[in-house]
Amino acid sequence: MKKPSTRTILHFAVLIVAMLSIAAQAPILSSVVAESVPSVELNADDLGPRPIEQLTSQVITRDYAHAWQAMAEALDSNGKDLLDASFTGWAKENLSNLIAQQERTGIHTHYVDHGHKLVALFYSPAGDAMQLRDQAQLEMQIFDGHKLIDSEQVTLQYMVVMTPGTDRWLVRDLETIPEAEH
Amino acid sequence: MRIRNAALFFTLLTLPGLAPGDEIHAPAQVVAGTSFSIASSGSGKATFYLIGPYSVRKRIVKTGGGIAVDGSEVEHAGRYSAVLCSDQCSTAHFYVRPAGASRISLLVHPSRVPVADSDAISAVAFVFDRFHNLDMAPETVDFKVMPKEGRELTQAISVENGVAWVRMTSGRKEGLSKIGAYVGKTSEIRVVQQVAADACNLHIRAEWVGHSFFVETAPVRDCSGNSVPDGTVVSFTKTDASGKTTVDVPIKKGIARVEMPVSGEAHITVASGVATGNELNVAGGR
Repeated sequence: MKKPSTRTILHFAVLIVAMLSIAAQAPILSSVVAESVPSVELNADDLGPRPIEQLTSQVITRDYAHAWQAMAEALDSNGKDLLDASFTGWAKENLSNLIAQQERTGIHTHYVDHGHKLVALFYSPAGDAMQLRDQAQLEMQIFDGHKLIDSEQVTLQYMVVMTPGTDRWLVRDLETIPEAEH
Repeated sequence: MRIRNAALFFTLLTLPGLAPGDEIHAPAQVVAGTSFSIASSGSGKATFYLIGPYSVRKRIVKTGGGIAVDGSEVEHAGRYSAVLCSDQCSTAHFYVRPAGASRISLLVHPSRVPVADSDAISAVAFVFDRFHNLDMAPETVDFKVMPKEGRELTQAISVENGVAWVRMTSGRKEGLSKIGAYVGKTSEIRVVQQVAADACNLHIRAEWVGHSFFVETAPVRDCSGNSVPDGTVVSFTKTDASGKTTVDVPIKKGIARVEMPVSGEAHITVASGVATGNELNVAGGR
């Protein structure tokens, strides 16, 4: 059998490096593709003081799913405008600031969303605010440029406040809370 | 064989996390806005990342001691990841808790309400710390109703998940009434316009002015004695030989007044909403 030349070995090595580089960037490439709408289940059995209308529960579920989709896309692409349709108040301002910091530092977070279990806790008597607790199944990947610096599968608890907008419910507050907080 | 070795070499070169690196240890919880230190092992320099719910920080730090985190870097409540990368990355997670009640977001509905209306006003208070984190620590919100005249009413409500709410009955006097929510030294106030309720005990009288016959009400008031607002409609109904005629008249300057042609005997009644008043029997032809 003919012995491979040094030149052949070098070509082969370059090929491997190129393949590994592409593999390392796979999450980045996938993030360019639009995020899918995550699954959201809503339990409003113990909600009060205002009872929830069936249509409202459907809309809350839909709009919260869209909010997560928008947030994941916005954080992945540093696209502040993507937040407009689903966020308002402090949640929107905080996420906009986060995106500005991501742009400055080159760090960004990529969410792989495995679904949300929402429990509606409080619906104001006038119907102008709803508080929910979310148990989110997420895979969070943190990149510095193209370098993956941390990746983890987590179950996170969120406290959420949503308020009605003109044609949808908007996320006004979104905070992670420790497991024992509820 | 040389090919296989070269491939293995480049594979090892491109995969992170195979060489030993520095360790990082964060406290389980800290209070928002409070400076603290994250312990690190190793020696030399490394890149430190602090990834919060709404913030990202990156800097080069010296390992083997405490990594100082300024209070301004942990103002948002929630879960943080501290990542230290040299040859490989080490991660620690911790939670930032709200810093204690400092702000109240108060929703009061409606902004205009009839007097003495049971449970007509709802007030919802969201309690935040000074960094706008929802403060979920158990607290009590004092809701106060402060009418322009009359005594102040206070109701203490426990905060649940950062929210407290109450339903209140409007006062008996029309005018501006302040609705306040108080937590410690923090307060938020909204103003509700209390307006007279429906008319109560209508009273009418008739008079001739020249050849014209007029019917007018006494000043129209609700059951608490507040003047019913101008524009509220009062209906006068006349029944005479020609049949039944109803005239709707808005209150002006506190009374409703209408000219009614009368020939022969007539029976006149008055109503506003569900309230009715006295009835008049008059003889016309003047």
